[in-house]
Amino acid sequence: MVIKNKKAKMLKAKRKTPLPYFLTVPAILLFGTFTFFPFAKTILYSFAKISKSGQFEKWVGTVLWEKILGNSETWTIVGATLKFAAVNMVLTFFVALLFALLCVKVCKGNKLYQTLFAIPMAIASSPAAAIWLFIYRQDAGLLNQILGTNIDWLHSENTALLAISVVTAWMHIGHSFLFLMVGFRNVSEDLIEAATLDGAGAWTRTVKVLIPMASPQIFYVVFLNITSAFKSFAQIRLLTGGSFGTKTLVMASYTARNSGNYTYSYIYSIMLFIIIFVVTRIQFMFEKRLVHYQ
Amino acid sequence: MKTTVRKTKARTRRILRERISFTGKLLLGLFFCSPLIICLLFSFQPNSEVSTAPLKLITTDPTIENYAEVFLHTEMGHYLLNTLFMCVVCIFFHLLFASFCAYAFVFFDFKLKSFFFTLIQVHMMIPGEVVIIQNYVTIQNWNLVDTYLALVITGLVSAGSIFMMRQYYRTLPRELKEAATLDGCSDAGFLFRIAMPLSVPIMCSLAIDGFIHTYNAYFWPLLITTTDKMRTVQIGMASLMGGDSMNYGVVLAGAVLCMLLPVLAFVIGQDYLIKGMTAGAVKS
Repeated sequence: MVIKNKKAKMLKAKRKTPLPYFLTVPAILLFGTFTFFPFAKTILYSFAKISKSGQFEKWVGTVLWEKILGNSETWTIVGATLKFAAVNMVLTFFVALLFALLCVKVCKGNKLYQTLFAIPMAIASSPAAAIWLFIYRQDAGLLNQILGTNIDWLHSENTALLAISVVTAWMHIGHSFLFLMVGFRNVSEDLIEAATLDGAGAWTRTVKVLIPMASPQIFYVVFLNITSAFKSFAQIRLLTGGSFGTKTLVMASYTARNSGNYTYSYIYSIMLFIIIFVVTRIQFMFEKRLVHYQ
Repeated sequence: MKTTVRKTKARTRRILRERISFTGKLLLGLFFCSPLIICLLFSFQPNSEVSTAPLKLITTDPTIENYAEVFLHTEMGHYLLNTLFMCVVCIFFHLLFASFCAYAFVFFDFKLKSFFFTLIQVHMMIPGEVVIIQNYVTIQNWNLVDTYLALVITGLVSAGSIFMMRQYYRTLPRELKEAATLDGCSDAGFLFRIAMPLSVPIMCSLAIDGFIHTYNAYFWPLLITTTDKMRTVQIGMASLMGGDSMNYGVVLAGAVLCMLLPVLAFVIGQDYLIKGMTAGAVKS
């Protein structure tokens, strides 16, 4: 009884301690200052005239929004963003899936090729851009030499977006691959064995057992690659500078700011946010319906 | 007799198949990483060979002058120090805030708990790229452009690491806390002396992830640094790429130097990284 009282007392005392506030408030303040506050400001200031140095001048209402939404270039940018995300998602997902399926079984030396499959994920955009610039360039470019062609991969409307998607996918595959690999390895041995005993071959086992059982990971990886493509910046800036049909929303936001058009930059940012938000909503919606949890 | 022969035959066939599959996977892995190998090989070639067709993978005249050039013509050492400073500060606060918040959320009930928690969840819906320009304006208004404080301030806390730490703290038995309290351990003492030491493996995976992430950051350092002295490795390396008279040998040598540390961190910390990556994101 005494102990119970003591415990109850302690619990009550705990509720009064300011400690949890000391622990959480600094982090919350940082979130507020560098996420919520600037986010609100970004939305508000997209309706204002902003000076070339980023200072508020006056409210202008929806004039600039109308100007941007009525401009066909904006829709080219949105289109490029979506196309880039789609191409990047397909490339990353299928290569990562192939690598992960090759690594399902843990055998001797698997660590070696597993590392090789994953390592580009540790490479940053600048060195990656440097290497791929060397591969893609027209004069004395490695790719042209191998293929025997003379194409300016990064400076042509037809190839620039694809070329950049390849670089981005190359950097992102490792992450997706590791996710899928862990997902596949977590599928219980018994289940695979049972399928084998039932006469399922390697292909059937993969399609009917492994992939459905790892659907949470697959789902996560697909959407992760869409959103991370939306946010890509460095490799686009360094490889094409946003020309030749590779101007995505992040790139547009950056170039608008650089030319002192802060309001435009904010509007592009909000459009980016809306697209990512919608995609994430779709992800949650489908996740509830489709994903098979063990 | 016959069966043993058949058995050994089957065994050799199996071993052969394993060897073939291993070699195949290894070759595929090497092909996937070939841009890195290309980068390394060409970084040792003199500029005359790197910039004229046809390119040869192996040079007869290997040289380290590209590397010397990188250190001579850029402040690579300085960039590296800046970047490492940024990494150390960011990782330290990441871990500190993650532990603090996770501890408060798991072991305490307080008035604003669910509100704070919702805030962190909402925060995860807002990508950094959306607010980055406005953050630059904030830093500009505070007169902090081109300072170390500005370089690190937006990277001090991450919602992802809070979530991961919280997930780990939830696995700690409540009785542990009660027992510690009965033995006279204060709330803060429990965090520093019991909870944090227990979470060292999680901290390792967060630290490695944080290192690769911070070291490789590009957008924010690009906006916030204007003088050469404040540049990070990524920006410094990228600045080698500009201009018409760009020397590819030097660029590739710069790329090699730039990649060295994260690749090393990845190879060493791979297992931690995988564990951390998969622990937080997918509920299964």
